[in-house]
Amino acid sequence: MNGATWLSYSLQDFVMFGPEVFLRLFARINQDLWPWLLLWPLAGLVLPWFGRQAAELPRRLAMALAGLAWIGCGYLFLVRYYGPVNWPATGFGWAFVVQGLLLLLLKGRALPAPMTWPAAVSWWLAILLLPWLSVLEMPDLWALALFGLAPGVTVAATVLLFARQPSPLRWLLLALPLAWTLFSAATYWALGTFWLLGFPVATLVLLVVAFRVNPSPAQTPDSQSVRPGPGRQSP
Amino acid sequence: MLELSRRRFLIGVGLSGLAVASPRLMAAGSSAGEQAFHSRPIPSTGESVPAIGMGTWITFNVGGDQYLIDQRTRVLETFLERNGTVIDCSPMYGSAADVIGAGLDKLHAHDRIFAATKIWTSDGSETREQAATSERRWGIDRFDLLQVHNLLAWQEHLATLKEMKAEGRVRYIGITTSHGRRHSELARVMETEPLDFVQLTYNVLDREAEERLLPLARERGIAVLVNRPFQGGSLFRRFQSEPLPSWAGEAGVGNWAEFFLKFIISHPAVTCAIPATTSVEHMQENMGAMYGQLPDASQRRMMAEYVRQL
Repeated sequence: MNGATWLSYSLQDFVMFGPEVFLRLFARINQDLWPWLLLWPLAGLVLPWFGRQAAELPRRLAMALAGLAWIGCGYLFLVRYYGPVNWPATGFGWAFVVQGLLLLLLKGRALPAPMTWPAAVSWWLAILLLPWLSVLEMPDLWALALFGLAPGVTVAATVLLFARQPSPLRWLLLALPLAWTLFSAATYWALGTFWLLGFPVATLVLLVVAFRVNPSPAQTPDSQSVRPGPGRQSP
Repeated sequence: MLELSRRRFLIGVGLSGLAVASPRLMAAGSSAGEQAFHSRPIPSTGESVPAIGMGTWITFNVGGDQYLIDQRTRVLETFLERNGTVIDCSPMYGSAADVIGAGLDKLHAHDRIFAATKIWTSDGSETREQAATSERRWGIDRFDLLQVHNLLAWQEHLATLKEMKAEGRVRYIGITTSHGRRHSELARVMETEPLDFVQLTYNVLDREAEERLLPLARERGIAVLVNRPFQGGSLFRRFQSEPLPSWAGEAGVGNWAEFFLKFIISHPAVTCAIPATTSVEHMQENMGAMYGQLPDASQRRMMAEYVRQL
């Protein structure tokens, strides 16, 4: 097809499912995983507590929990539930799994410094408030978009951690969240599920917050204190 | 799949000429004992198909959601109860083929349909493989109609489809476009290839097909499936709050769905319109267009003018 033909397509022409099908994904995954799904938001709630510790091990645990959350929403929500109705979601799902594995493998690159209080509060606000956006679209408590299962909440919260990493790792970790933000915003717009646009908007807001409250690790005073000493070199 | 029974064949051949002469007369083309419905002959064989079919784009792509699969099965059941047979799908439509297959299984309806799907791959060597995959997903032995989707790699796919037709692996072959795109290229294919069907977009607002493609289809004896009869639902969003014209009843129109669909199937070149819906109620309305009087040529002009003024 030539360029003029491509330009004749609208955003809606690329969405091959209806809003009901998409919104029911949240309810279906929650009902299917009940009650084990509660583990994910619980992990999300304690993550900042680990992330705020001075010792490196809890901060590694925070990154590991974030990695598990990415694997969870990548494989379960995107590959298993969303993929069958929207094939690009399958690709995103596997990319989420790879990103989650990358976070798990970043042994020596835990959070370079403890999370600040503003970052921790932003995190808690994200995982406690954003889940209700899907309920606003589909008035059913089962439709809560939970951290670790729903990509919108998971991505929005975890950019707070990724922005803490030194470059170029920071941008490597932020590439997929930004791609997902663009893709999901276009999808929600085309579906007319405007409340869900809160997810990509929140992701961008939290990214700005992360850069403002978490200056580059090199400029963070306490980042010096967590650099591995001569006797504790990372592998 | 819909087999060509002797009775069906005779009805189709006998009425094919009448269809061209007068769409109204085709209302008598259904079997005795059932309410009369409008059917149209496929020019290449004379086999008759109901003038309203069912599209599945977006509507049947519900993934593994059992609640929605059951609901879509009820939509399919309503379609079949109202004498619909032509079901159109594509590998592009996500899980729609699996949902159709599940519905056909539940309703034991594999032999009551005219099964149409598309070949949608840029790899011209995958025609047979993709057709076989679609057959498995629908739960059928072969398709009645295989179409090249949106002219994608059409030279390679069409060559293979012609072979498959000669082998009896498919009954009819065709090619599709939508949204009014690439009409010139489609016309060239229609002029040079032995097609049984074309599929294109035509509705009361998108009427470009009237200029070249529909006359060409009649001239070349090619059946026409019409997609996007409601312009993807936007015709309802634009006009549903407006009153039907005072003369609607005279044209056999009782609601907006019938207005849009009867405008299409009353065109003498059109074989079947394939609206899509997620709702049983809307399916009933859509299938209502297959019954009763159809607008004549002057009424069709009035219909087009009426929506233009709105």
